[in-house]
Amino acid sequence: MPQFFLNKKLIILLISIIFLVSLIGFSLRERDGLSWPEQFMKDSAGLVQTVFHKPASAIAGFFENLSDLRNTYEENKNLKERLEEYVKLETEIYDLEKENEELRAMVEKEESLSDYTVTQATVIGRSPERWHETLTVSKGSVNGIEKNMAVITAEGLIGKVKSVSQFTSTVQLLTALDPQNRISAVVQGKEPAYGFIQGFDEDKQALMLTGLLYDADIKEGSNVVTSGLGGVFPKGLVVGKVEEVIIDQYGLTQTAFIKPAANFDDVNDVMIVKRSTTEVDTDSTEGDDL
Amino acid sequence: MKIRVFLLAVLVFISEGIFVEVFSGPLYRTDYILVPRFIMIFLVFLTVYGKKEMALWYGFGLGIFYDVVYTEILGIYTFTMPLMVYLSSQLMKVLQTNLGIVSGVSLVVISVLEIIVYELNSLIGFASLSFIDFAKMRLLPSLLLNLVFLLLFAYLFAKWMRKWTIDEDF
Repeated sequence: MPQFFLNKKLIILLISIIFLVSLIGFSLRERDGLSWPEQFMKDSAGLVQTVFHKPASAIAGFFENLSDLRNTYEENKNLKERLEEYVKLETEIYDLEKENEELRAMVEKEESLSDYTVTQATVIGRSPERWHETLTVSKGSVNGIEKNMAVITAEGLIGKVKSVSQFTSTVQLLTALDPQNRISAVVQGKEPAYGFIQGFDEDKQALMLTGLLYDADIKEGSNVVTSGLGGVFPKGLVVGKVEEVIIDQYGLTQTAFIKPAANFDDVNDVMIVKRSTTEVDTDSTEGDDL
Repeated sequence: MKIRVFLLAVLVFISEGIFVEVFSGPLYRTDYILVPRFIMIFLVFLTVYGKKEMALWYGFGLGIFYDVVYTEILGIYTFTMPLMVYLSSQLMKVLQTNLGIVSGVSLVVISVLEIIVYELNSLIGFASLSFIDFAKMRLLPSLLLNLVFLLLFAYLFAKWMRKWTIDEDF
């Protein structure tokens, strides 16, 4: 027995394992924000990352440009075709917007869940170990970024702000396998179907929209957007298109597989979305259903 | 001059995040997951060619930073990185110190680290891959990437570590 206590290495190992478990427990519980040492470490790492990021991406960008050049002709042809559609769409949208405004004025409703302002941010780092799909972006709480805000690229929703420090913030991608990563979304159609985006299917390369009513009629190819019902996300951010619908194992709900509109692979610039409508009752929206 | 070891540690730490970000396009388009473990390679070389004590502390420090900056789950790397330093020093007790063997040890240590991190992550629900898939999609490609890194930098790392950790005579 005394032999056991004299074994210094064993004691150190035991203490570290206890320490490890308690630290993991500490970080897994729902936290409001980061503690100041964490913020400080993140900011200092962010500073160095910003310094090295520019030259590194400039070099990589050069090679990428070279490979892009080869496809330019094909792409140009495609884009020209799209441009004509775009003009038509634009006039339609203009009409609709105007009508919407008039109708809003009629019912005297000024704010809408779909109004938002965006903050541009550059991605300065990405988690190298890919269990936790996170990005580090160059804007923090001094720029008005808050936890749980939606993060989009030009193509669509990519994730939400997981944590904020003074000058940087961490974005968790939709593909991250985090049980707390839930976003309220709606399948557009004659009758909208509401559900949660929760998880990513590696095999199908698709997001999973769970909790849809079992009798909801969901067409493949319909658009999925955020519902804005959760509290922080605005309404109408594009998520993707429905690829496949299955009934879940108990037959009570349906799960739809969604092909994401945004490209999670090559993210360089993001927009962080702040909803204009303020939350009415912060207590009731405290959960993680965004 | 030990400050150079510190600067290299910072550079290696940042390089992992930037490597993944800059090459995210080509890296992520494949089904395989390539994880750079340059920090671990740095630590192994510091253990073997520099000082073990120093490597333990660097492992601890870099582990904390890794947890805070990249994963936000505190503890995993803070715990495993010093453990891996210890493992590599134990391995080197029975092995010869030459560049090839040290590189081999680095790869072994990286695999052990990957497996521990995988187990811990599946324990707390962040990983859903089966072990076979993990080995096929993640472990082997990552080892390949780190092997390339070793081929490029092993000689330099060994040289620097040896030179930079010598105590200066007064």
